[in-house]
Amino acid sequence: MAIIDKGMKKISPSKVFKEKLLKKKKLSGKKNLETILFCLPAILLICIVMYIPFLMSGYYSLTQWNGIAKNPVFIGFSNFADIFSGKSGFLTSLGFTVRYTLLFVIGSNILALALAVALTRKFRLANLYRGIFFIPYIMSMTIVGFIWKFIFTQGLDKIYELIPAGFLKWSWLGDPKIAFFSVVLVGVWQGLGFYIVLYIAGLQAVPSDVLEAATVDGATGSQRFFKVVLPLLGPSFTTCIFMSLTNGLKVFDIILALTKGGPGTATYSTTMQIYQEAFTNNNYGMGSAQAILYFIVVMVITQLTLKAMGSKEVAL
Amino acid sequence: MGMHKKQILGKILLLICLTIVALVYIYPVFLMFMNSIKPFGEVVADAIALPKAPTFENVTYVVDKIKYGSLFLNNVEITLIGIAGIVAFASIAAYILDRNRGKLSSAIYTLIITPMLIPFQTIMITLLKAMNVIHLDQSKIGLGIQYWGFGIPMACFIFYNFMKTIPREIDESAHIDGASTFRTFVSVIFPLLKPVTVTVIVLDVMWIWNDFLLPLLMVNSSNKTKTLVLAAYTFVGQMNTKWQYAMCAMSLTVIPSIIAFIFLQKYIVEGVVAGAIKG
Repeated sequence: MAIIDKGMKKISPSKVFKEKLLKKKKLSGKKNLETILFCLPAILLICIVMYIPFLMSGYYSLTQWNGIAKNPVFIGFSNFADIFSGKSGFLTSLGFTVRYTLLFVIGSNILALALAVALTRKFRLANLYRGIFFIPYIMSMTIVGFIWKFIFTQGLDKIYELIPAGFLKWSWLGDPKIAFFSVVLVGVWQGLGFYIVLYIAGLQAVPSDVLEAATVDGATGSQRFFKVVLPLLGPSFTTCIFMSLTNGLKVFDIILALTKGGPGTATYSTTMQIYQEAFTNNNYGMGSAQAILYFIVVMVITQLTLKAMGSKEVAL
Repeated sequence: MGMHKKQILGKILLLICLTIVALVYIYPVFLMFMNSIKPFGEVVADAIALPKAPTFENVTYVVDKIKYGSLFLNNVEITLIGIAGIVAFASIAAYILDRNRGKLSSAIYTLIITPMLIPFQTIMITLLKAMNVIHLDQSKIGLGIQYWGFGIPMACFIFYNFMKTIPREIDESAHIDGASTFRTFVSVIFPLLKPVTVTVIVLDVMWIWNDFLLPLLMVNSSNKTKTLVLAAYTFVGQMNTKWQYAMCAMSLTVIPSIIAFIFLQKYIVEGVVAGAIKG
């Protein structure tokens, strides 16, 4: 290095360049320090509440621990072995969660799209109507669960006396098969407003000249909708399906308030299973193992869906 | 002309259907409010009938019993602490990560936003343990600080995407005037972030105000730290046959959100849409 320097000493542009490089290095050192300093609070906080507990979960999942004993007992993968042999309720709860999510995603998106189409028509009080559908979304999900518990147990009988429709007499929370649909119904009711406003935003972004061109070309109303509007809604679909997917997989509050997972385990979600395993049964090790598996399942499902939708959207 | 008439008829039909659907849709909320001002006997006799003798006795009973006033202030305090930290730390991180681009900043950015993928239930068991060790549990401020960690990833993501649209010439001219990087952020850049700051605030207020599981784990043991939703949850559990009190507690819990929504509908809806599309 020194020799090269000597040989090049006479050439001043190189010296200038070198100085510039040095200055740049110093500057980038200062910049890096600045970057770290400004991000430090964010990094620290995230580590404390997310990364450290996540790593701890990984460790505890390999132990047997009641949460009180000083030292968890290391037992390797036997928690996972127990889960896969069906000893805990994890697999059953996962089955429920997947079925719930599937129906929740389909129900939310179809209804939200239909209502969004109706609500984008120009009429007086359109804002009031949109507001009505949004109100359940701003309410606490726990309260929503309680409201519907009241309706299912107290309200429907009385409504039946006014409108004698058979379905009002069903045992909405008592029959395991029906309870599943009740929980989905309440979940969809609570979240629908959110997906409606997302679809409305998408529909309003459809350029009106495209629609006019389709009309001029003789497209009927339904043709216009299915052949022109729907394909242009690609990004809205991706957002809404992804959001409803993650929200469906996370379901907890509504079920806790509405059925507590019952009757039996008919509406027992994975999130509830993890909660109960740890905080009711005091099996922290087992709970952590289930939490880690739940994380893996959520990751796989969401990533696969994103990938599938990504390729679809390009195809449109 | 016939076509035109048909269109009008279709529109009227649509409006009628939409009105019916909207009424059925909001009916559960109406039912809750209605039963919260009915005496016990009326609720038991007919849950869906309009109140014959509306009474505010339920309201005074519940307000007194759950200490509504102090719970409300708890909620306000926790939400304010949460929002302040999330906005401050996420915006400043997003600012520097966008302006000092490089390997280091892209690594830090990934580190910050990746936790958006971790479901809360995956970490809640060990979170409780970790918070216990550093004494952030059983306190309102501690809970508020935890929200910083949980809220920053999404907020930083939203701020970062918006930072790209603010031209660098603005910082450069501030630098020439002798302002430090921090100073430039506080007095020049942060005010320009206002539209997304509103988005972040809307999303996070709705989330923190109504959150259930994290407060359940962290602040449920004392009335001094409880939130509105937690108190309503416990209270409704205790009042499992006294529906009039339960309904009243539930109504009182959601009324602040509904009032806020009536006045801020435009901002709330815009914020939610912007957050979802950018998030």
